[in-house]
Amino acid sequence: MKSRSARARAIGAAGVILALLLTGCGGDSNDEADPGGGGGGELSGATLTVGAKEFTESKVLAQITAEVLRNAGADVDESSLSGSATVREALEKSEIDMYWEYTGTGWVNILGNTTTDVPDDLYEQVAAADEANEIAWLEPAPMNDTYRIAVAGDFAEENSLATMSDAAEYIKANSDDGVVCAASEFINRDDGLPGLEKAYGFEFSEVVELDLGLVYTQVGSKCSFGEVFSTDGRIVANELTVLEDDKAFFVDYNAALTMRQETLDEYPSLAELMAPISEALTDEEITSLNAKVDVDGEKEADVAKQWLEDNDLLG
Amino acid sequence: MPPAAAAAQLAMLPARRERRTLVGYLFMPVFLALVCLSLYLYVKSQDLDSIEVRALNAESLTSTTWRHIQLTVVSTFFVIIIAVPLGVLLTRPFTRRYRGILLTIANIGQAVPTIGVLSLLAVAFLFLGFASAVVGLVAYAVLPVLRNTMVGLQQVDESILEAGRGMGISKFGVLRRIELPLAVPIILAGVRTALIINVGTATLAAYINAGGLGQIIVAGLSTNRLTVQLTGAVLTAVLALLIDYLAGIAEDVLRPKGL
Repeated sequence: MKSRSARARAIGAAGVILALLLTGCGGDSNDEADPGGGGGGELSGATLTVGAKEFTESKVLAQITAEVLRNAGADVDESSLSGSATVREALEKSEIDMYWEYTGTGWVNILGNTTTDVPDDLYEQVAAADEANEIAWLEPAPMNDTYRIAVAGDFAEENSLATMSDAAEYIKANSDDGVVCAASEFINRDDGLPGLEKAYGFEFSEVVELDLGLVYTQVGSKCSFGEVFSTDGRIVANELTVLEDDKAFFVDYNAALTMRQETLDEYPSLAELMAPISEALTDEEITSLNAKVDVDGEKEADVAKQWLEDNDLLG
Repeated sequence: MPPAAAAAQLAMLPARRERRTLVGYLFMPVFLALVCLSLYLYVKSQDLDSIEVRALNAESLTSTTWRHIQLTVVSTFFVIIIAVPLGVLLTRPFTRRYRGILLTIANIGQAVPTIGVLSLLAVAFLFLGFASAVVGLVAYAVLPVLRNTMVGLQQVDESILEAGRGMGISKFGVLRRIELPLAVPIILAGVRTALIINVGTATLAAYINAGGLGQIIVAGLSTNRLTVQLTGAVLTAVLALLIDYLAGIAEDVLRPKGL
């Protein structure tokens, strides 16, 4: 799902992303005058390459990582790669040393499972299974970039909607106000709309099929409910409230830094170094970082650096 | 080059052809039926998963196809009632000064990608659904009909018009009884072009909740199901060929005797 969601998102924010690609990806954050930074220097002498997928969130995560590594004394080579398949391949072929992957993508796209047999301890299962490919998964972040249903902020408040169960109750009671805006993929996937309705035992009164980029602006006008990606910056921009998936129906897409086992063996301090960063990356935090890039037009590198400094994460 | 002359060069002229034989008339429907049959057998032979079953059941295929036909027919109807009178007006001497600007507007309508128009309507005006899609389709397809109407009227021999006037027919009478009948084949060729453009472009309506066969194609693309994509694409192509075939028959029937 991740790769496709990324594609849809890339279309939605095409203008912004294109502009960023044109202006922002020249490794401009490579602060060559200050290779050592102020950190402990555990990684001095190391040259590491951080990769990213082709959408904002992945690039922000890569920039955060690059900044942390640089701060610890490493020489960082940033490469921006496109497409989930190619970035994983690049990692396996040692073209890059690490990138942020999602647990759901690992389970379905990399390990070849289906969305109907997702285990509860998804991260542990994925990390264990990927050992066979000699890829190590560091501790995952709490952030979970997956399908969610969102409503307009004031609508959520008026009707005290916080969870999907609340929404199901509301739609059952107000059958004329259960319109959902969603994109084709969500409407057709088993782990999308059809499964969601079954899991919560309700049915939306009408499904408005739109391009994903249009959904965010239509929630609260054409439809009360909308399919969103839980950490998309446009949630902030359009003042939407994301409903909690209280029955844990949607597949988890927690982000975790992945690298070859040999890299981790060579620099074991990487795990320790990244742990506090990963822990601080909640849905809220990453959503606001995504919004700064996609909505306010800031550069990923600047957003990453600012966030690390504001949260005192640069040791 | 004045716009009208440019338009004359670009206009799609109807192919001159003899009335078809019975076999000629039957070929296309039989061919299309065979295509549909092969598609059906192919899909039947596949092991469909839940996503494919959801997209490819009889009910959703019939409703999307019917919606597609509605989109095509309604938008072409509006194209005709906008473009034909406009074409007549723009070939009258008193509108000469507006000709350039109106043709430019029609050109812009066709130059701007329909998906751009649809997104603009959706984002800027929160305008979605069937009506919005029709607006986008009409903007895109006005030009060929407008152009062909103008060319059709302009190619009528000046001396015939003068003869008509000399016989005491009014200006309107000349238009109605001489110019328009003589222009009909070319106007119909434009309408046929507009119909085909609309069948193809209507697939984009799926992005703004207006349904149509685009819904099947997009479902196939977004879930990476080749069978679904193929079904949507083949049905759209069959529909386009069928509509072109029907328009061809309409041309044969409506063309004034002796032309």
